[in-house]
Amino acid sequence: MSDLLTTDVLTALIAGGILAGVPLLFASLGEMVAERAGVLNIGLEGYMLIGAYFGFLVAYHGGNTFLGFLGGAAAGAAVSLIMVALCVQMGLDQIVVGIAITLVAEGATALIFDANFAESRPTLGATGRIDIPGLSQLPVVGGADTSDGSIFSQPPIVYIGLIIVALTAWTLRRTHWGLNIRAAGDKPSALDAAGVSVVATRAWATIFCGAMAGLGGAYLSITAAGLFEDFITQGRGFIAIVLAMLARGKALWVLIGSFVFGISLSISDVLQIAGVDISTDLVFMLPFVTVIVVLILFGRRSYLPAALALPYVRGAR
Amino acid sequence: MKKRLLKYTAMAIVVAAVIALTGCGSDDSSSTTAASSAASIEKIAIAAPEKGNDYGWNQQGVEGATAAAESAGAEIDVADGSGYDDVEPVLRRLAQRGAKMIIAQASGYNTVAPKVAAEFKVPTIVFDSPSATTPGEVADVETSSQQGAYLAGILAAKTTKTGTLGIVISAADTNWFKQAGGFAAGAKSVNPDVKFKMAQIGQAAYADSAGGKRVTSQVIAAGADVVFGMGDGASFGMLQAVETAKAPAGADKVWFIDVIGDKTPIDKKGVLLSSVIWDFTKVYEQAIADIGAGTFGDQGYDLSVSNGISLLRTDHASDEVWAEIDDAQAKIASGEIDVPLTPDQAAVNALIK
Repeated sequence: MSDLLTTDVLTALIAGGILAGVPLLFASLGEMVAERAGVLNIGLEGYMLIGAYFGFLVAYHGGNTFLGFLGGAAAGAAVSLIMVALCVQMGLDQIVVGIAITLVAEGATALIFDANFAESRPTLGATGRIDIPGLSQLPVVGGADTSDGSIFSQPPIVYIGLIIVALTAWTLRRTHWGLNIRAAGDKPSALDAAGVSVVATRAWATIFCGAMAGLGGAYLSITAAGLFEDFITQGRGFIAIVLAMLARGKALWVLIGSFVFGISLSISDVLQIAGVDISTDLVFMLPFVTVIVVLILFGRRSYLPAALALPYVRGAR
Repeated sequence: MKKRLLKYTAMAIVVAAVIALTGCGSDDSSSTTAASSAASIEKIAIAAPEKGNDYGWNQQGVEGATAAAESAGAEIDVADGSGYDDVEPVLRRLAQRGAKMIIAQASGYNTVAPKVAAEFKVPTIVFDSPSATTPGEVADVETSSQQGAYLAGILAAKTTKTGTLGIVISAADTNWFKQAGGFAAGAKSVNPDVKFKMAQIGQAAYADSAGGKRVTSQVIAAGADVVFGMGDGASFGMLQAVETAKAPAGADKVWFIDVIGDKTPIDKKGVLLSSVIWDFTKVYEQAIADIGAGTFGDQGYDLSVSNGISLLRTDHASDEVWAEIDDAQAKIASGEIDVPLTPDQAAVNALIK
């Protein structure tokens, strides 16, 4: 065990936590905003898959990872338009449509990828990183001279993600847009009575969700794996929905939940590598148990919107 | 509007009736198949869950079946990418299309494949289900994959400069555990002091390439400079981690040893040290011969170093090392070396600690 308490291992532990946490951060942040507006995106897994594929595709053909991230976000947003049309505008069941989006995305991405890349299996290599001057040379948290970096040596998209979290928290709490989003989820009739379109508010929140989930998927394929593989998301979209619900509307708790999950997952890897004699069944429960305990203990005062997953029909009681 | 609706409904009924009648006709032909089961093998079929170009299990199965069919002068009917959820229609269709032997290339097909074999009287091969073996109908294939992994362990122990070897598996899979144990035993036969760093990505993370990369990076950070990876789709992430890794202290490069298939065509950085190849050709050829002899299903088959498991030969090791591996392979085949069987995590842990 003691031979694992080295700088390299501890740095890799943090890097692993970031690699596992960032896709969840983007996806659950988008889902949290959509949920606050009253839209439950069960198809989050599908948005992520589409984002992962198109992000990879753009990065591979464009030779630029930043373009890849933009491509992934755009693809996720485009798919979320299905949710907007069928659920927000037409009022169809959000759960049924969400499941359909996930199934279609799984089949479509596997089909297109196999048709184009099954033989060649291209990879993207390591993503370029920004080293924070002075801090990136620190042991363990620096990571400048390691394979996957650490806190102060990460690809720009990670730092952009932190800025998006701050902006989202500020927007929800301090702006009219944020007030509209919260009202669309809590009391849509009041928002309607105030002359603001509930459909438009929910639509924009859903598109934001799609873009963020697509970005999370793109991070997964471009940075976390460096390649695309059928069903690469492996249920991360559903984990992101759970994180968004446990965070209950707070962007900061989405950030904490995502990284607690990522670091817990990374710790479970290190426990195995250390040869700790615990059943892997228990080891793999660690991230889920940790997140639930942390968010229940510290996030109790948040809540789920009253009109979550309910279509808005003007005048309906 | 109402007339048009009625017209479409009538058309739908006619189409459904035609499909139903076609199905009945096929059932008739299946009776013919049953009656002529002793005839020569004109066609064999294989159903595989993923596409037959995955550089792994599915590709090896399809290529083995194709080679066996070719040597028997038979036609091959490939149904790859059939998934796991509902394969019964696929197997029925293969039987209806005249297959005289069906290979159900996934242990996930073990419930439905014997049922279809009994119904259509088509000799069928299943995997990891010894109890399913039934004379004339079903034969099981087991893999002594630990034997090939033993050879990989020798190669790894001869190659490592840090004295630490990594083992990464994607799931709690019996074959992965068997190979992990064989690998450890092989490495220890060369160097009893060699250390192992082992980690599992998830309970069934076969396709988690991001998880494969994350876990492999951590194993490398713990000092492993040779990684033995077992993962299906996740192994592409493992390979990516090895390609992008900074070598641990004491080593100048990190190497990867794969299983089942040959990833040489996609090894752009030259880090693929070898692979434990599973070639099913001889097993399938034997099954075809047994059908001809009327002994199919009297017993199961074992894929081993004697009939299809070997180590992919690359130029990353010296001739002396390969000679030593060849010698070990011969001793395993003759029974002089008995590779331990480790079907679960506890058995593997007992070997690597």
